[in-house]
Amino acid sequence: MRNSGYLIRRFLQALLALFIIATLLFFLFRLGLPDPTAVLVSEGLSPEQRADVRRQFGLDLPLWNQYLIFLQNTVTGDFGTSFHYRAPVSEIIWERLGNTLVLMLAAIFVSYGIGVPLGAWLSWRRGTSADSWGIFFGLMFRSAPMFWTGMIAILVFGVWLEWLPTSGMRTLPYEASGFWDKILTLDFLHHLILPAMIVAMFYLGSPLLIMRNTMLEVYGEDFIEMARAKGLPERSVLFRHAARNALLPVVTQLAVTIGLAAGGQVVVEVVFSWPGLGREILNAVRTSDFPLAQACFLIMATFVIFLNLLVDILYSTLDPRVRLS
Amino acid sequence: MISPALKEAFAPLRLMLQDRLAVVGLVVLTLIFCMALFAPLIAPQDPFAINEDEDGSVLMRTNDGWILQPSLGLVALNDTASRSGEDLIVGRKGSLWIRTADRWELTDVPVTADLNGIALTDAGAAIIVGSEGTLLLRNGSDWEVIATNLALSLNAVAWLDDTAALIVGEDETILRFDTTDNSLTPLVSPLNRGMALNAVALDIDGSALVVGERGVAMRYVPAAETIELVRLGSSRGLEDLHISPSGTALAIGERGTLIRRDGADGRWTVDKTPDSRGLMAGWINDEGKGFAVGRNGIVMERAPEQDWVLADTESERHLRTILVNDDGVLALGSDKFVIRFAPPSAQHWFGTDHLGRDLFSRSMYGSRIALLVGFLGATLVMIIGTNVGLVAGYYRGKTDTILMRTVDVMYGIPFEPFALILVLLFTPSLGIVILAVSLLTWRTTARLIRAQVLSLRERPFVKAARVAGASDLRIMYLHILPNVMPLVFLELAITVGVAIIAEATLSFLGLGPPQSVSWGGILHDARLSGAWRTAWWWNLPPGIFIMMTVLSVFFISRSLELVANPRLRARK
Amino acid sequence: MFQKGRVTQLVLGLALSMPVALHAQTAVEPIEILTTTEAYDPIRYEGAYMIAEAWKELGLDVTVSPTEFSTLLGKFYDQQDFTVTIAGWSGRVDRLDPQFYLGTLNSANAVMGANNPGGYSNPEFDEVFEAQSREFDQAKRQELVHKLQEISAPDAPLAILFHRDEVVAYNKNNFENMNAMAGEALYSEWVPMEAKPLTDRTTLRYGGPQSPDNINPMLANTVWAWKWMRLYYDRLVRLTPDVEVKNWMAESVTAIDETTIEVKLREGLKFHDDMPVTSADIKFSYDYLVASDYGYFNSYLAALDSVEIVDDLTVRFHLNAPSAPFASITLSQISILPKHIWEKIENPMELAPADIPTVGSGPFKFNQYTLGEFMKLDKFEDHFHADEIAVDSVEFQIFADSEGVFTAVQTGQIDVTAWRMEAGQIPLAEANENLQVISVPDFGYYHLTYNTRKPHFDDVAFRRALTKAIDRERIVNVLLDGRGEPGSSVIAPVNAFWHNAFTERLDFDMDGAKADLEAAGYSWSSDGKLQK
Repeated sequence: MRNSGYLIRRFLQALLALFIIATLLFFLFRLGLPDPTAVLVSEGLSPEQRADVRRQFGLDLPLWNQYLIFLQNTVTGDFGTSFHYRAPVSEIIWERLGNTLVLMLAAIFVSYGIGVPLGAWLSWRRGTSADSWGIFFGLMFRSAPMFWTGMIAILVFGVWLEWLPTSGMRTLPYEASGFWDKILTLDFLHHLILPAMIVAMFYLGSPLLIMRNTMLEVYGEDFIEMARAKGLPERSVLFRHAARNALLPVVTQLAVTIGLAAGGQVVVEVVFSWPGLGREILNAVRTSDFPLAQACFLIMATFVIFLNLLVDILYSTLDPRVRLS
Repeated sequence: MISPALKEAFAPLRLMLQDRLAVVGLVVLTLIFCMALFAPLIAPQDPFAINEDEDGSVLMRTNDGWILQPSLGLVALNDTASRSGEDLIVGRKGSLWIRTADRWELTDVPVTADLNGIALTDAGAAIIVGSEGTLLLRNGSDWEVIATNLALSLNAVAWLDDTAALIVGEDETILRFDTTDNSLTPLVSPLNRGMALNAVALDIDGSALVVGERGVAMRYVPAAETIELVRLGSSRGLEDLHISPSGTALAIGERGTLIRRDGADGRWTVDKTPDSRGLMAGWINDEGKGFAVGRNGIVMERAPEQDWVLADTESERHLRTILVNDDGVLALGSDKFVIRFAPPSAQHWFGTDHLGRDLFSRSMYGSRIALLVGFLGATLVMIIGTNVGLVAGYYRGKTDTILMRTVDVMYGIPFEPFALILVLLFTPSLGIVILAVSLLTWRTTARLIRAQVLSLRERPFVKAARVAGASDLRIMYLHILPNVMPLVFLELAITVGVAIIAEATLSFLGLGPPQSVSWGGILHDARLSGAWRTAWWWNLPPGIFIMMTVLSVFFISRSLELVANPRLRARK
Repeated sequence: MFQKGRVTQLVLGLALSMPVALHAQTAVEPIEILTTTEAYDPIRYEGAYMIAEAWKELGLDVTVSPTEFSTLLGKFYDQQDFTVTIAGWSGRVDRLDPQFYLGTLNSANAVMGANNPGGYSNPEFDEVFEAQSREFDQAKRQELVHKLQEISAPDAPLAILFHRDEVVAYNKNNFENMNAMAGEALYSEWVPMEAKPLTDRTTLRYGGPQSPDNINPMLANTVWAWKWMRLYYDRLVRLTPDVEVKNWMAESVTAIDETTIEVKLREGLKFHDDMPVTSADIKFSYDYLVASDYGYFNSYLAALDSVEIVDDLTVRFHLNAPSAPFASITLSQISILPKHIWEKIENPMELAPADIPTVGSGPFKFNQYTLGEFMKLDKFEDHFHADEIAVDSVEFQIFADSEGVFTAVQTGQIDVTAWRMEAGQIPLAEANENLQVISVPDFGYYHLTYNTRKPHFDDVAFRRALTKAIDRERIVNVLLDGRGEPGSSVIAPVNAFWHNAFTERLDFDMDGAKADLEAAGYSWSSDGKLQK
C-alpha cells in the first residue's frame, strides 16, 4: 500500500535525521567545547592527575574510536556515564525529563483547555468588544517574556503574599519511592501552580487565536451555510459543526507544542529552580559533560521529530483534503 | 512586472489603517523606533556611567538609628573638633564649618587644599592640617597659613599641650609644631618604611600615640623627645585613634578593625567586629561606651562591657569622622559614594541599579538591541525561510524531502542550549545572538511557505507561465513569490516579535553580547544582584518595554493576517 | 581621615637619567583581558572593564573578552593561550597552609595544564620555596614564607585584585552559637557540631546552589562533595576555626624524627556499622588512596612513603622527605574508610551510585542523598564527640542559584546559607529581623595573571606599571560594596601568621605607572599610543 510505504519512508528519514543530529553533536562537542577536566585545575589537580581523569572518561581514545563506542551505546539505549555526576546518564535524564514533562503538559493542558473553547466563543462574538479584548489579552500574554512574568509572579505570590512556594517541586525534605510517588501529592501541586500558570499564560494565545481564526474560516464553508439554511440553532452550528472542523489546526499546533515540550522552557526552570531537563542541558554544556549533553539533545530531538511525524500522519488521516504524497 | 508586487506590498498598509489595534501597534512601534534612534539624545546619561556623589553628609544619632540630616555643602567632611560652645568641621577643598548657636556656618580659609585634620585646645587654640603640606593656625578669628615646604599630605594633628602640637602624615612624616615661635621640627620615624601615618592622639601620660598604615603604631614622648614603635596587635591599616580622659582608648581601621584599651594601664585587645568593611573614625568614653563609623554608612556602637553591634543607618555614604558633644552624636562624611538601588526620582526617572547606573538611560539604549535583533533576525529568517519554502514547494520530490528533513533536524535542536553552544564555540556577541535566533526560527516559515507554494504551483497562472516557457527561477520569483508575499509579511511581523523575546531570553540567561545594554540584560542584572524583589523600578520597566514592543508587532501582524487570509475579515 | 596623595618625583628623576632610545619604537601589541561572563561572575566581568579603561589611559589597546568559564579555564591552564586572564582561587581550609598558593608561582608548575599558567619563573623563589616546604620549624618556615612574598611582590607576576568577603546569613531564631570560619563561613565542619537549636527542631538545614558531583570518596573531585563528606568520614586530626591542629581520632600525633610521624588512636572509636576503628583501617585508607587512580589528594600524599602498623591503635607514617604540611594538612584531609567494606570493592571508581558505601566514623552518619536536590545526615550517637553535639541531623538543600537559596532562608525553609549572598540580597537580609548576617574574610583571592612569556609581559617594569594602574580599592568599593579587601600577596592578610604585611603593594598610582613606563624606555606616539 502506498500509505504504509510512505510511513516507513518517513520513519526511516526521521531516524536518519536523529543520526545526523547525534553525529553533529558528537563532533561539535568534542572538537568545539573545552576540556571537561579543565575545571579540576581549580580543585588543585595536576596535569598528570587530570590525564588520569581523562582516561576514566574515555577521552584518551582516538576520536573515531570514541565515536564508534558512542554509536554502539546509543543504539543500545545506554548513554554512558555523566562526567560530572559520575552516574549513568539514563538515571539522571529520565528523572529530569519526567520533571519537565509534568510541568509542560500541565501548562499545555491548561492553556488548550481554556484557549480552545474561548477561541471558539470569540469567533462567535467576532467584531464585538469581547472579541477585541480576548485578542488583546491573548497577544499580551504571548508578548511578555516568561522569565519576567515569572519573576513578577514570584514577587507577588511568593514573596509579598506568601501564598505559593517559589522554587523546586516539593517542600524539602521529602521522601518519595519514585517519580509518581513524588508528584501525586498536594505538596507537588502547590509547587506546580506558579510555574505552570506562567507557561500556560504564555501558551494561551496560540490555541485561542488559531481556534478563533479557523472558526471564522470554517463559517465561510458551504456546509456551515447549509446547516444554517437548515435552520439549526446558532449554538448547535457553532459547536456541532464548525468547532469539530476547526479543531484540526489546533490539534496540529498541540502536537508540535508537545513535541517541543521535552525541551522545556529553560527560563522557567531557571526562575523557579525547577529541576528539569532544560536546566540540566545548560549545565551539561557549560561543564562539558558530553555524555549528559548528548543524551539531553537526543531525547529532545527524538520527541520533536516523532511528534512532527505524528502531526503529518494525523493531518492526512483527519483531513481528507490533504493527500499523502 | 514589479508593480504588482509593490501593490501587494502596499495593500497591507491600507488594511492596517482600518484596524484600530494595528494603528495602536504602529504608533507604539514608531515611538520605540524613535527611542532607539534618538537614545543618545533622550537618555540623560551614558548607560555605563556609574553615578557617584560627593556630599557633606551628616548623620545624627537618634533613638531610631542614625538619621540623615540636611547636608553641609557638596564636598566631603573629614575631621571634627569640639570644645564647649564651639564645634568645627574640616573637609575637602578647604572647607571649614563652624557651629555657633546651632547653625553651621561655612568659614573662609585662605587655602583650597583638602583639609584632613583639626585639633582644638580648651582655650580655643586651633590647628588644621591638610594635603600638600597645608598647615593652618587660628589667630583670633583669622586663619594663618604656616609654610611647611612639604608636598605630601598631612593627615592628622593633636595638641601636646597649649603651645605644641604633633602633626603626622604620609611617608612617615612626623612634625612637632610650637606656637610660641611657629617653628616646625621634623622628627625621625623609627620605622622608616614610608608608611602613611593616619592619626595621632594625646595619651594621658602626656605622650602622643600615632597610628598608621599596616598597623603601624608609635609613641612620642615629648619630655624625652623619643619615638618608639609599639604593637597594638594587628597589621591592619589603622585610620583613627581616640583616647578618653581616663585613658580608655580605641584605634580603628580597615576591615572593621577595632582595637581597644581599657583604662590607661589596660592591654590593647582586638575586639570582635560585626562588619568587615573599613572603619574611618572611632570614639570611646571612660566607661567603654563607643562608636565607630566607616565606609558604606557603617556605624558600630558599643555599650560598656558589651560586644560591638551594627546600628541602624540607611545610607551608602562613607562616614569619616564622629562629633560627640553634650548635644548629641553626629557622624560625618562623605567622599564619593555610589548611588546604588536608588528608587525613581527626578534625577533618575527609573532609579539606579546595583552599580549606580541610570536605569532610564539603560532602558532607552536597550531598545536598540531589541529592535536590531528583532528586525535583522526576522529579515534573515524570512530570506532563508522563504527561499527554502519556495524551492521545496516548487520542485517537490527529492529536493523537497531533503529540505523538509533538514527542517525536521532544525526542529530537533532546542534554542537556549544551541545558543549556549554557539557562544562556547565562538565568543558572545551580537552576531551570535542574531545567528542563534535566525538559525532556529526559519524552520516554521519554510514550512508555511512551502505549503502555500504547493497549492499555488497548481494554479492556472503558474501553468500558463510554464507553458509560455518561463524558466523555473522566473516562475518561482516572479509569479509565485508575489502571491506568497502577504504570508511572508505576516510571518515577518510574527518573527520580529519572536526574535525580540528570544533575544531577551538569551540576554536574561547571560548569553547576550557583553557590555551591551538590552532589556533582557537589565533583568538579568536585576536577578543576579538579588535586588529584584525590592527594586521594582529595576524589574518592571524593561519587561513592560519588551511586552509593548512585541505586542505592537503582533497587533500589526494581525492586520497583515487579514491581508493574507481575507476570510478572517469580520463581516458586518 | 584624609586623602592620600602620591609622590612621583623620584621616579621621574630616574626617567631622566635613562639613555635615550635611538631606534624607532613600535607600538605595544594590543592586550586582550580574558575574564568570565557576567552571568558567571559579575564582579570579575565588571572589574575587567574597569581595568581595561585604566590601561587605555596608559596608551594601550585593550579589549575585554568575557568567556564562558570552562573555555576560560581551557585557554588559561591548558593552552596558556592568553596575555592577561582574570581568575580566582577559592579559599579552602587546607589552603591556609601557604604551600598551595605559593606553589602557583613555582616555575615547576609553569608547564601546560598546571597551576602557574603565567609562567613566572624566579630561581631564587623556587629555591626558597623548596626550602620552606621541607622546614619543620614553624618560626623558621614563617620567615621563609615571608621571604617568598617579598621576593615575588616586586616582580608583579600577577596582580592580586582582591579577597572577597563571604557574606552569609543564618536564622537567629532557630540556632545560636554559629561561629564562622575564614574561607568556609558557616558551612564549616564545626558549625554542625557547635550549633545550638533554639526551637524544638533540632535539624540544621543548609541551602546552597552547589551540589556535590558525587558522594564516592574515591571519585569525588569537587570541594562541595568533600565539604559534605567530611561530616561523616572522620579524620585523624581536624583544623579548628582558628586553624590550629586539633587531635581528633588521634589521641596523640608525635614526630619521631623528621620523616616519621606516629599517630595513636583514641580508644573505642567505631564506624557507623558498629565495627571498631583500628590502625588497620588507617593504613588501609592511606594505602588505598595511594594505590588508586583517584588524584584529588595526591599532592597531600606525595610525601608519604609507607604506613606501618605498630599495634591495634598505633600507626607510623614514614615520609620520603621531611614535609611541613603533612602532620597538619594531610592528616586533616584524608578520610578514614572502613577496611572491611572497601577491601571487597575491586574498582571503586566504577561503583554505581546506589552501591557507593556511606559508612564512615564521623560525628554524623549518612541518611539520604537525592541527586541534585537534597542530602541528610543524622548525628552518630556512638561518636566520641557526640555529647557536645546539640543537633540531631544536618540537611543540605540544593537550589538552582543563589536566588533560590535566598528566598529559602528568607521564608525559613533553610537555616543557613552555605554560600555567599549577592550584593543586593545583603541589605534585605540585614533588614530581616529573623536573620543574622555574617561577613567572613576569605583567604582565597581573585587575580589578574600576566602571561610572562608574551612580549612586554616578560618585562618586570611593564608588569609593575600595569599593576599600578589598577585601582583595586575602587574595584572593592564599587563592585563589592566595600565587602572585601584589595590584595597584595597570594597569602591573604587574614592568614595572619603566614601573611607578610610589609611586602611591596604597588598601590594605584597612575602617574607613577606612566613614570615607570617612561623610565623603562617606553614612550608615547603622537596619538597617545604606548610604544617601545
